[in-house]
Amino acid sequence: MPHASAPTTTGLTARSRRDGALDAALERLAGGRVSVPDEETRSLNARPPDVLDRPDTPDLHVTAVRRLPAVPAQCAPFPASLDPRLRRVLESRGITQLYTHQAEAIEHALARRNVVVVTPTASGKTLCYNAPVLHAILQDPSARALYLFPTKALAQDQLAELHAMCETLARTGSGDEERDPSSTSPGIGVFTYDGDTPQDARRTIRGRAHLVLSNPDMLHSGILPHHPRWAKLFENLRYVIIDELHAYRGVFGSHLCNVLRRLRRICRHYGSNPVFLCSSATIANPKELAERLTEESFELVNRSGAPSGEKFFVFVNPPVVNQQLGIRRSYLGETRRIAAEFLKRNLQLIVFAQSRLATEILTTYLKEDFEGVPGGPERIRGYRGGYLPNRRREIEKGMRDGAVRAVVSTNALELGIDIGALDVSVMAGYPGTIAATWQRAGRAGRRASRSAAVMVASSAPLDQFVVRNPSYFFDASPERALIDPDNLHILVDHIKCAAFELPFTTTEAYGRHDVQEILSLLEEQGLVHRAGGVADLDAPEVEAQWTWTNESYPADAVSLRSVSSDNFVVVDVTDETRVIGETDFTSGPATLHPKAIYIVEGKLYQVEKLDVEGRKAFVRAIDCDYYTTAITYTRVTILDTFAQGRGRERFAVFAIDGSQNPQTAPDPASFHGEVHVVSRVVGFKKIKFYTNENVGSGELDLPEQQMHTTAYWLTVPAAVMAQLPFAADDRRDGIVGLSFAMRQVAQLLLMCDAHDIGISISGFGIGDSGFGPNARQSNPESPIPHPDGVQIFVYDNYPGGIGFSEPLFRMHDELLAATRRLIVECECANGCPGCVGPAGNTGPLAKMAALRILDLLTDDTPGLSAAHGPVDAEVQPL
Amino acid sequence: MTMLSDRIRGIIGVPPHGTTARADSPIPTSDSRIAPESRIPHPESRDLSCLSGTWRGGCFVVERRYERTDRCGHDTVGTLADRLAEAVDEAPIIAGGAPARPPFIFFDLETTGLSGGAGTYAFLVGCAWFDEGGAFATRQFVLTRLPDERSLLAAVAVDLARAGALVSFNGKSFDAPLLETRYLYHRLPWIGAGLPHLDVLHPARRFWRDDESMASCSLVALERQVLGARRRGDVPGIEIPARYFQFIRSGDAGPLAPVLEHNRLDLLSLAGLTARLLRLARLGPAAASDARETLALGRVYARAGLDARARDAFRQAADRSSAHSRIRIDALRALALAWRRLRQHEQAASCWRALIDAPACPRAIAHEATCALAIHHEHRMRDLAAARVFALRSLESGVRPASHAAVRHRLARIQRKLEQVSTADAQPSLTDALNN
Repeated sequence: MPHASAPTTTGLTARSRRDGALDAALERLAGGRVSVPDEETRSLNARPPDVLDRPDTPDLHVTAVRRLPAVPAQCAPFPASLDPRLRRVLESRGITQLYTHQAEAIEHALARRNVVVVTPTASGKTLCYNAPVLHAILQDPSARALYLFPTKALAQDQLAELHAMCETLARTGSGDEERDPSSTSPGIGVFTYDGDTPQDARRTIRGRAHLVLSNPDMLHSGILPHHPRWAKLFENLRYVIIDELHAYRGVFGSHLCNVLRRLRRICRHYGSNPVFLCSSATIANPKELAERLTEESFELVNRSGAPSGEKFFVFVNPPVVNQQLGIRRSYLGETRRIAAEFLKRNLQLIVFAQSRLATEILTTYLKEDFEGVPGGPERIRGYRGGYLPNRRREIEKGMRDGAVRAVVSTNALELGIDIGALDVSVMAGYPGTIAATWQRAGRAGRRASRSAAVMVASSAPLDQFVVRNPSYFFDASPERALIDPDNLHILVDHIKCAAFELPFTTTEAYGRHDVQEILSLLEEQGLVHRAGGVADLDAPEVEAQWTWTNESYPADAVSLRSVSSDNFVVVDVTDETRVIGETDFTSGPATLHPKAIYIVEGKLYQVEKLDVEGRKAFVRAIDCDYYTTAITYTRVTILDTFAQGRGRERFAVFAIDGSQNPQTAPDPASFHGEVHVVSRVVGFKKIKFYTNENVGSGELDLPEQQMHTTAYWLTVPAAVMAQLPFAADDRRDGIVGLSFAMRQVAQLLLMCDAHDIGISISGFGIGDSGFGPNARQSNPESPIPHPDGVQIFVYDNYPGGIGFSEPLFRMHDELLAATRRLIVECECANGCPGCVGPAGNTGPLAKMAALRILDLLTDDTPGLSAAHGPVDAEVQPL
Repeated sequence: MTMLSDRIRGIIGVPPHGTTARADSPIPTSDSRIAPESRIPHPESRDLSCLSGTWRGGCFVVERRYERTDRCGHDTVGTLADRLAEAVDEAPIIAGGAPARPPFIFFDLETTGLSGGAGTYAFLVGCAWFDEGGAFATRQFVLTRLPDERSLLAAVAVDLARAGALVSFNGKSFDAPLLETRYLYHRLPWIGAGLPHLDVLHPARRFWRDDESMASCSLVALERQVLGARRRGDVPGIEIPARYFQFIRSGDAGPLAPVLEHNRLDLLSLAGLTARLLRLARLGPAAASDARETLALGRVYARAGLDARARDAFRQAADRSSAHSRIRIDALRALALAWRRLRQHEQAASCWRALIDAPACPRAIAHEATCALAIHHEHRMRDLAAARVFALRSLESGVRPASHAAVRHRLARIQRKLEQVSTADAQPSLTDALNN
């Protein structure tokens, strides 16, 4: 927010000191190792921009350094219609004018237009919705607003700021003589309402809250089903604020869309029509996501007027230490070294780790290096889910006032918790999506001085792809957030909740499917009852409607964070029996099979028994140096093909050795459709921490799991397989390696988590006996491809599908091109965890065979000229 | 049947079409709604005759009278009416201080579920009162069609408006909030918010909950034990929503008739319990049938601020109970605390002494008693030797290490004082006065 005060002289000195320190650290990090031709011409005193803004160098330790220039503030006056009392309060807080995006968003909101604001971290987005909300309440004290945050912590974070503003408003407002005195001291009530709210406080909050700060889960199970008690809120609901909109993708987003459908139904019942104000981090489709979630049209505000200082973005790839196996130096060690460069120059930083375990390890490292005398102030802190709220607040405050010099965090600090502006953000591992990477990078950035973001790649395929293709990250649009609110599993659950809340009329629509038909089926189940209407002789004069006629409270059975609320609970039997966690039903067998290592907050447990019927896993604390990964066999059967893509008409002309006669064959093509997935966990591997060595394995006998879902798949025709100049086993390895790489790229393209999608191969051997990392040993007959060819499936790992496979189908060409790039550019000889999978999983020719298959599938495909070979694959830098 | 239906059937677990009983119907989803099965024109001609009610203001109402001579367990309805009339002034004692006054309207809901929320309906609102002649009149409002709820609530509000107090069994936690939600749902004012509410469950628990004989403090259990009433062929509560849904779907009121009877018996038992409670409150320990009721009476008086009556009840409860009974322990302890509040330390001490002599005294209470006696003898009686004996006893009975530490601290101090006394034979010191 633009403040009136000018920087002081001491402020300037501190600023230039920080800039100098940052330059020196970057110089040390990147300068010495960059072998660009003009290295000799560089003078020691050259400013870093000259040194560091240089072409990408995928094969070097620092693969990219980008300079993002400073941006000056762009300001605009307060909208004329904004309540003068609110304006005075803002002025008293030092806000004399708005940034352009704030002014634009507030204008839209005041004109009752839905708006989604996409601006970087610390650009003053909260004012974009707080201003119109407070304005509305000042104008009409009966007005209400509902704020939805993805987590309880974020609601708490906002509570303090809103309280402060409302108190100032109450004080200054009462001095106003132009207004009717009755409306000038509104005593605006701001309350959080979530699972932590004590029962006895709830009634008061329902009566007194102008602003209700909650989360989608509470809205779903605690507010909407009790809407009569919230009548005041729903009658007067002017604004619904959805903060961190980008968090609502996949299953969570699909559920939220339905919760909002229910919210809007109830608002219609009470005669209100709220305006939606959303804020989002940078994603490819914020407007589309907002419109899909709320099913209303939106204005997009995405040109930030907030100033930002100059920023450097550095990509680091730890050097290879074993060329043959493609093993790189530990990325955690590399992160520690890099963080130290900044810390010893007294720069304040945040380090993001990919897991709780990595967070604790890095915190320990940095404490060893930098913690002062014992008992002194803690300069290095860890931060992750599972810490108590008080400890978290203390760390956040330490970051804001500078006492804490570095915090190592999981994604817990990625969302908008206020920790002030920092000098450097170091990411240990690629965060998984472009959007999350920018958001974490945005944690560093001061208005007036330089900042830096460093991404240290791990050896995971995704990391390796991104670090070696910096332009993919810097120049591509970020990911699209996808939802499928009409997934039947999710939809039917919410129709039950909606019927509980208000009867459905017989003309009402809900979602994309025919809700009337769904209601008829629910009637067969005895869940609803249709009464009224001319067809009902018993009540012809009453409008026909479906009423909830069941004893249950349907919202209790629906969790917004999973497709089905069926789950396994994890029971610790070490001392006294207690429940320590839960896992959704689908991933239960893979994570809770007997002898599996289950990890909670860094503490290790071993599963002793999995009670599938009783949905319980019994675990006991254990001290060991490995974790486990399950080996799952999956079989996919096609139920229905929704769409299919064009393949090449003829491919035989590409026969490699020329010895075969040209032949015509069915099109190799891409498909989208519904599939039946049967999976079974057949065994597990023990993987040593830190080194990731395979230190043992075991067999398991667990029941099958089945689901219907949607999938994308591609067919490799038998003739293509036959043309491969490899032995049958190696051809099969090629397919296995190809699917391993495709899975990683699909995850990258879809902005999804690893467990959101599954992969499966069919078409080998008789009876499709499945696929697994060690499928070679257990399916000796399998290398013979089916006459119809081999299929590689990428399916939505949720019953009913959640909307990933359809866009993936549309991105077929992109998927193959990027997969090819991943494999071609990998430095390993015969396959590694960074491309077609670790060498032990497949034979020595997997990498070569996978590439050959891709060549046959993609050659001559229009629009893919950039992806032909290693040389062409290089995307031009900026 | 469309493909969508088949997929949804798979999801919600309905057997696929063709295996259901509906298979004989050619167009099952749409035409079943106008299938003839007992659907007859609304409203009066619908066969609700087995409920023996009348239509009033768009609402189906069933009225019954229990005459003075009808029995409710050991007593007649007339006796209940008389006892209630005699004891109306004591109602606030039982109602936790709320200004409950006649006329009392007893009320009890039958609902479509226990969870609350917008989708839980009160399909039967039972109201009852004693009329001037001492008969017990019940009026039940039945939601025969779900869309009629608004008129039902309006009719109920007229009856409740006459009440000087509402009387319910667990109504404060369940029936009243649920009914309030229904009124809020229809944007109608909820009259119950401004009425004194006597919830019999809480005093009933205090009087009659007995760990051995009554595991649950349900109304049916209470009426059997306290009123000596027995029901024959009563509908289990768990069946009630299903019976209503069956009626809604089929139009056959048969399954509903026993539900109405169940609700009427609940109302009558509620009146019986209320009469018993008010009579106890009025007559005091003399009317109590045993030590437990006497003890409970003491607690009720204490809550209402009637200290003298409370002490009297506690004293009588202790006298009436056997030496080994837990009631005696609880009564003595309550009496000791009551005396201590009045600073009658001598009386309190005698209660504490009786407590530690009681054979069945639990360790925790023995500890409390010995501590209290140690304090009493150290600071008030200045009998350090006795104080030391009690402190040592409380060390023996000490339950938690934390209380041990406090007792040891006291013992050390008593020891110091004893030594001072023996060496200097001095007057009680200033520190003693301060500790007092």
